[in-house]
Amino acid sequence: MRIVLVRRKKPLKYGGLVVALLSLLSGIFVFTIFAWLIGVNPYPVVETIVTTFIFPGVVKDFIILTLLGYALLIAFKGALWNIGAEGQMHMAFLVSIYITLIVFFTTEKSLPLYISIGVILLSIVAAVAAGALWGGLAGVIKAYAGVDEVPVTLILNYIAYFIGDILVYGPFRGKYVYGYARTDLIPDPYKLSIPVQRQLSGNALIDTVTGYMAEFATYAVWLVALILVLIFTYWLLNKSNIGLRIKILGSNPDYLVSLGYDVRKTMVLTFMLSGAIAGLTAALYYHGSLYRIEYPLEYNTASYGYLAILVAWLSMLDVYLVPLSAYIVSAVILGSQRVSSLPSVREAFTRLQLGGAEMAFKLLMFGSILLAYSILRFIQDYELKVVS
Amino acid sequence: MIPQLDYIIDKILPAFVTFYLVSLGHSIFEKSGILNLAIDGVFFTGTGAALLGAILPIIYNIPISPPVMGVLVATLIAAILGLFMSSVLTFLPISHGAVGLSLQFFSYGVGIMLGYYVRLAYGTIYGVSFAREDVLYLSIISLVIGVVLHLFIERTKIGAAIRAVGENPHSAAALGVRVMAIRIVAGMLGFALIGFGGALFILSWQRSWDVKLFTLGYGWLAFATALAAGRHPIVLIPVSLLFGGLVNSQTDLQSRLGIPADVAKLIPFLAALALMLIYSTTRLRRIFASPSSLGKPYYKEEKSI
Repeated sequence: MRIVLVRRKKPLKYGGLVVALLSLLSGIFVFTIFAWLIGVNPYPVVETIVTTFIFPGVVKDFIILTLLGYALLIAFKGALWNIGAEGQMHMAFLVSIYITLIVFFTTEKSLPLYISIGVILLSIVAAVAAGALWGGLAGVIKAYAGVDEVPVTLILNYIAYFIGDILVYGPFRGKYVYGYARTDLIPDPYKLSIPVQRQLSGNALIDTVTGYMAEFATYAVWLVALILVLIFTYWLLNKSNIGLRIKILGSNPDYLVSLGYDVRKTMVLTFMLSGAIAGLTAALYYHGSLYRIEYPLEYNTASYGYLAILVAWLSMLDVYLVPLSAYIVSAVILGSQRVSSLPSVREAFTRLQLGGAEMAFKLLMFGSILLAYSILRFIQDYELKVVS
Repeated sequence: MIPQLDYIIDKILPAFVTFYLVSLGHSIFEKSGILNLAIDGVFFTGTGAALLGAILPIIYNIPISPPVMGVLVATLIAAILGLFMSSVLTFLPISHGAVGLSLQFFSYGVGIMLGYYVRLAYGTIYGVSFAREDVLYLSIISLVIGVVLHLFIERTKIGAAIRAVGENPHSAAALGVRVMAIRIVAGMLGFALIGFGGALFILSWQRSWDVKLFTLGYGWLAFATALAAGRHPIVLIPVSLLFGGLVNSQTDLQSRLGIPADVAKLIPFLAALALMLIYSTTRLRRIFASPSSLGKPYYKEEKSI
């Protein structure tokens, strides 16, 4: 008797959802064993994790991670493993900061609408260009020098961090920062988020619904961008000539040669498209939520660039599943933060003389759920059979 | 003693040994065709496990030198992670990258859990670290390990099997290689060495440990080191010497050349990129090429059902 793995004749029905639920269950199970081992009551832990999936705070991470997920999806479709979304985002930040804080800096509380919109648009376009160029640089090194793109994009991340560090420490350091190594806050007229006031009703269900509406209203511009990027990615990969070239690049580059296309140019183009969306995300994030960057730079993005790699991989490179996996990843991040600040967890850590190590809990939970998700993805296309 | 030797013992060698062992382990691991994006997490788990292990002889009166025990525990725990990662990725056709990255986050958590108690209860770890001169022996040991591994990979049957499995697991399996067994050997060996490097990172180089250690990204720098040397155990020696030296002499570079700290931090990464560009555009490229099945999910079609 042995266990073998067999490919399904048809993918599992509702496979995406089944896998998501199953992996959540098993990841949470693994994690609760940890919790139980150190003497934490598992019930509030599980409750917190589950309720995070209907928690309005997820919206912000969800939108950013979906956008970045699409950026990486394009590169991954071409079998180009772009680990460099972080770097592409940071180069875009720097350009946006140059435009909003150096060239068009203002202390006015409000400006005529056309100026605000003009500056924001300029900043977004420049950020898109910067992301595309930084991505394109990796593409050129990959295509024309033949260096593996994983280390190249990784190294370019660090180079972007340090270039940013040099600038934030020097010319970009703000005038109103009390000696901190960070830039000024973005001027009010250039902010993209819409402040929303809401009153709590006391009813949990109503508050959750209004909470989601408030979050979506606050990030309405992001949401519009998200829909546009979704449509663009779908069109690019399914309807356009470039998308076809990218997909052939991913499956069989030799075929691309025999079709008469330049493989190298396609690689650079793929990287530029990927970087462009990462740059767009960076500009939106800066204008809508971050508002300034600080030294050292690698802490500014909450590792969005790396989490997006997970999002893209977990979607199995399916355009429709990117939002789902982005939602799961962002709920898990937020859930792990909420769990590690639960009173019972804090108390257990203090009792074990581990006070201050709650971060471990967060990483363990986050890691075990994502690990379960990455492993159980196989259920969709394969099944385990016991044969004698 | 001559001042240059002091400089080498204090500055160059501890960094060299760490980078060499971690990138050597990474190279062996990836030779078997599994993409290792968990490197930074395993490295950090190694540091935490080493701290815990180094305290054990003191608590339980075990007649073994504390730092040696630290190294043993670190290699053991890292090897278990390697066993898990390589067997799961060989048995199931799933994304190497997603598993690696998730395992990275998970093992950051494991590392904190292992090391934090010791950090709080004992504070300084000078007492359980390697002595200053021990780094000479550790360097020699790691060089011997490197040469032996080189011969193991190039000259033995198992080594050939590791390379074959990395190039094309299907053909290797058809020729009678047991892909699972070979990848487990390479995975455990590789991760054990990464754990060894992590142990030396705190017990011989830094002599301190902190929860935030994993944000330094030294594991990723070792990743770049391994690639800059084309995953070749012998070529790795000068390259890790260069990288270790660059990382550890940043403050000297700053003061001697009068450059800002962040420019000095840039140098190792620019050097890594430059090295990769150089070998990619020359004949070395063919020797240093990545295994052709690196990172590809492995699925063996069943014919008997």
